[in-house]
Amino acid sequence: MTVTDPLLDVRPDTVLDPPWVTVVWNDPVNLMSYVSYVFRSYFGVTPEEAERLMLQVHHNGKAVVATGNRESMERHVEAMHGYGLWATLAKADS
Amino acid sequence: MNRFGLAASGNLLGRFKPIEADLLQLAIVQLVELFDAAGEDVVAASSDPVLRRMLPDAYPDDEEATAEFRRFTGNDLLAAKVFNARVVLATLRAALADTPVTPADNSPGAAARRARAPIAAPRETVTLDLDPEAVQSWLRTLNDLRLTLAERLLISSDGALHLDGDEAPFLNELYEWVGMVQESLIYAIDI
Repeated sequence: MTVTDPLLDVRPDTVLDPPWVTVVWNDPVNLMSYVSYVFRSYFGVTPEEAERLMLQVHHNGKAVVATGNRESMERHVEAMHGYGLWATLAKADS
Repeated sequence: MNRFGLAASGNLLGRFKPIEADLLQLAIVQLVELFDAAGEDVVAASSDPVLRRMLPDAYPDDEEATAEFRRFTGNDLLAAKVFNARVVLATLRAALADTPVTPADNSPGAAARRARAPIAAPRETVTLDLDPEAVQSWLRTLNDLRLTLAERLLISSDGALHLDGDEAPFLNELYEWVGMVQESLIYAIDI
């Protein structure tokens, strides 16, 4: 078994790149139960966390559902579009 | 009656009235036609509001990055949506084909009774057998169907409906009904 020190796995370029976020926006069509289901099944979060994120989308109009490099955020946004959710990506600080 | 229930095989069984299965089939055939009509150029097709809702702007403040994202992902996303819709159609057609039509009544006087009450021959409940992959296709297709219906109904961000005209009540009823079906499907797999 190989044990990887997570700290050694961080490359300098990813450290210096400002992180990106995946944002899911509220819309009047998608069912709350469906949005919660998508968060749970795609991101693998607990039912409680999925519910919390879904309610944040519902009440605040949007929620950050993932943070990371641009490529992975684009992957998440594409997946969200596959589910029919309204998702965008942006630099974390914008 | 629960619309969806777990079978011993682990598959979900869905129960629909024949008229519901027919209607859903019709609506999803139209959904596939709509996706097919988008053609190869998804960036151009995204000027259509329905298509734009299917492939939303990935970068709200960056048109160029949004167009590029759409160019790279749009065709695959639409192909997946068409695939899912076809899975739903295939399961519906298989279930409809397995549903016996109640034998015609040929007893004396039947013709006269039919003339007085010309209703279609009653059919039995349509039972769908959905494996886990088909369930995923169903979930996403029902959602896509609701999104396209919402565009046609001109539902605004507050949920209000702005479509006038004769077709509005029917479309709204269909929209609500598809929502109920989707909800019961989510509850059935939410274990």
